[in-house]
Amino acid sequence: MIEITETIARSSKKTVAVAPSDVVQIGVVAKYEVLKYLRSARLLGMIAVVALVILLITALPLLLGEPYPEDADAFTSTYAGYVTLLIIVGATLFAGDAIVSEFQNRTGYLLFPKPVKRWALLAGKFLASTGAMFLVLLVYYATVLALGLVITGGFSVLGVESLILAMLYSIAAMSVGYLISSIMKGTTGAQVLTFALFLFIFNIVTRLLTMSDVKPWFAVTFAGEVIVDITQEPYPVDRGATGEGPLAVSSFVPDVGVSVAVMVAYVLVSLMLTYFFFKRREMVA
Amino acid sequence: MIEPIRIVDLTKDFNGFRAVDSLNLVVKRKSFTGFLGPNGAGKTTSIKILTNLLTPTSGAAYLNGIDVTQNPKAALNNVGTVVETPEFYPYLTPNETLAYMGELHGMAQGDIKRRTGEVLETVKMTEWADKRIGKFSKGMKQRIAIAQAILHEPSVVILDEPTSGLDPRGMFEVREILGNLKNEDYTVLMSSHLLNEVQQVCTDVALISRGRLLRSGTVDELTASTNLRRLEIRSIQETTETLLGRISQLGGVSDLESFGPRDFGISLTGGDEAQANLLAELQNLGLKVISFKESGVALENLYMSLINESR
Repeated sequence: MIEITETIARSSKKTVAVAPSDVVQIGVVAKYEVLKYLRSARLLGMIAVVALVILLITALPLLLGEPYPEDADAFTSTYAGYVTLLIIVGATLFAGDAIVSEFQNRTGYLLFPKPVKRWALLAGKFLASTGAMFLVLLVYYATVLALGLVITGGFSVLGVESLILAMLYSIAAMSVGYLISSIMKGTTGAQVLTFALFLFIFNIVTRLLTMSDVKPWFAVTFAGEVIVDITQEPYPVDRGATGEGPLAVSSFVPDVGVSVAVMVAYVLVSLMLTYFFFKRREMVA
Repeated sequence: MIEPIRIVDLTKDFNGFRAVDSLNLVVKRKSFTGFLGPNGAGKTTSIKILTNLLTPTSGAAYLNGIDVTQNPKAALNNVGTVVETPEFYPYLTPNETLAYMGELHGMAQGDIKRRTGEVLETVKMTEWADKRIGKFSKGMKQRIAIAQAILHEPSVVILDEPTSGLDPRGMFEVREILGNLKNEDYTVLMSSHLLNEVQQVCTDVALISRGRLLRSGTVDELTASTNLRRLEIRSIQETTETLLGRISQLGGVSDLESFGPRDFGISLTGGDEAQANLLAELQNLGLKVISFKESGVALENLYMSLINESR
């Protein structure tokens, strides 16, 4: 009887909540995605990888008795060479299963019947992934620039430019990861494909094109090489084939402007396709 | 007056297989409607369309008068759902999960806190409020699923086989929660293939088979309308095949099934008079009847009759 009385009292003061705007919902989705990254230790795991990479690169010259570069930009360049690898791991962790997991893990049954548009869910998730990736990159570059300041006594402005390009490249890599995640049926497959695509497949295609004397300016991994190249003073240039026969291989350097355009194009096309597939995807299983 | 749930000529095809076939259904306000049908009848598919998890091939589904396919955000605003057995984010607690869902619904922080306490109490999960859901049993997850469905006090609640896969204790607990929902201000549509559950909990029933609506109405109307009943009979002497053959020829008798040397069951078409006549005819055949009783619930008889007719 007490339960019924409470129920009636509760019902009488019932107010209907109205779903907030898409922008507010994007923020809500992003907030809880970040919480999930924190709880699942993905973000902390990435920070740990960053710490390990910095420790190794910094400690090895000391252990081998090699001197550090005297110039801050050259010092930063050594570390910038590993950024693309960090981005690939980050894209795999933060983007590779972002969409597909809702379907495979059946959490979509909880989320999709809510009054939230699919594009708002996508935007919220992508915002969280980008935030997590940016945090990883900021920690990496902040540590590297601080180390450069201590060891060389100079601040690498080119290092900051490298950071900005790394951020753009990370968005492009995650956009492709989201696209894969919106198409694939399993989380493991999506993550493996994202990782393999950036680590092997794009690079193999780029290498084959280079060997055929074709500049692979349109490949996102080639465009990503600007992250390292920008730290070099002067900026490197293309070199024609030297030598003879099969050993005559050209060396191509990505143009900064073209690379930025290519990365932006990858972001736009991938995200548009992701939305297209995500919106049409049904909870069948 | 706008109906809380209205389905109009709804059809859904999966690669040539028609799961829902021109389905029409109206759910009355503040009713607790059981959506009944055998496995593969199209119950879950219809509910998935209603909750924006599937897109219909043709037709429309309206929630509070808003087409869920055309404007899902507005249509689902005042609706709570439990579809299949949803999974939760394993690293979040019930409190966090309910806060997430509440914020998506636009609830104020104070309301979220108040309602979280109330709904967790309703589903008897208060003591687990701050434990991560990853380690919860299926029954506990189902209770959290119901909690999130009613958190924002929606006018419409849609439940898809809420006791499916639960152990007897879990089923009992969830039915108890459903019984409490019946006393509140909700319009509930609940799919199930458990007839006793529907007869126990629901005020109205919609029966579907092969994606089509067979019959709908209040439970009382439908059970009163059925003229098919299932009878179980026991005799002193052992029944022979010849005798059983003769019994199966009696008027109104069908589906004779022998359970043992002295026990058998039959379906009988007709009312109380037909049942009384049958007893007399069995005795005329020389059968010494010691037990003659109706088995199963009335809804089950209607259900079986309609399902058989639709095949």
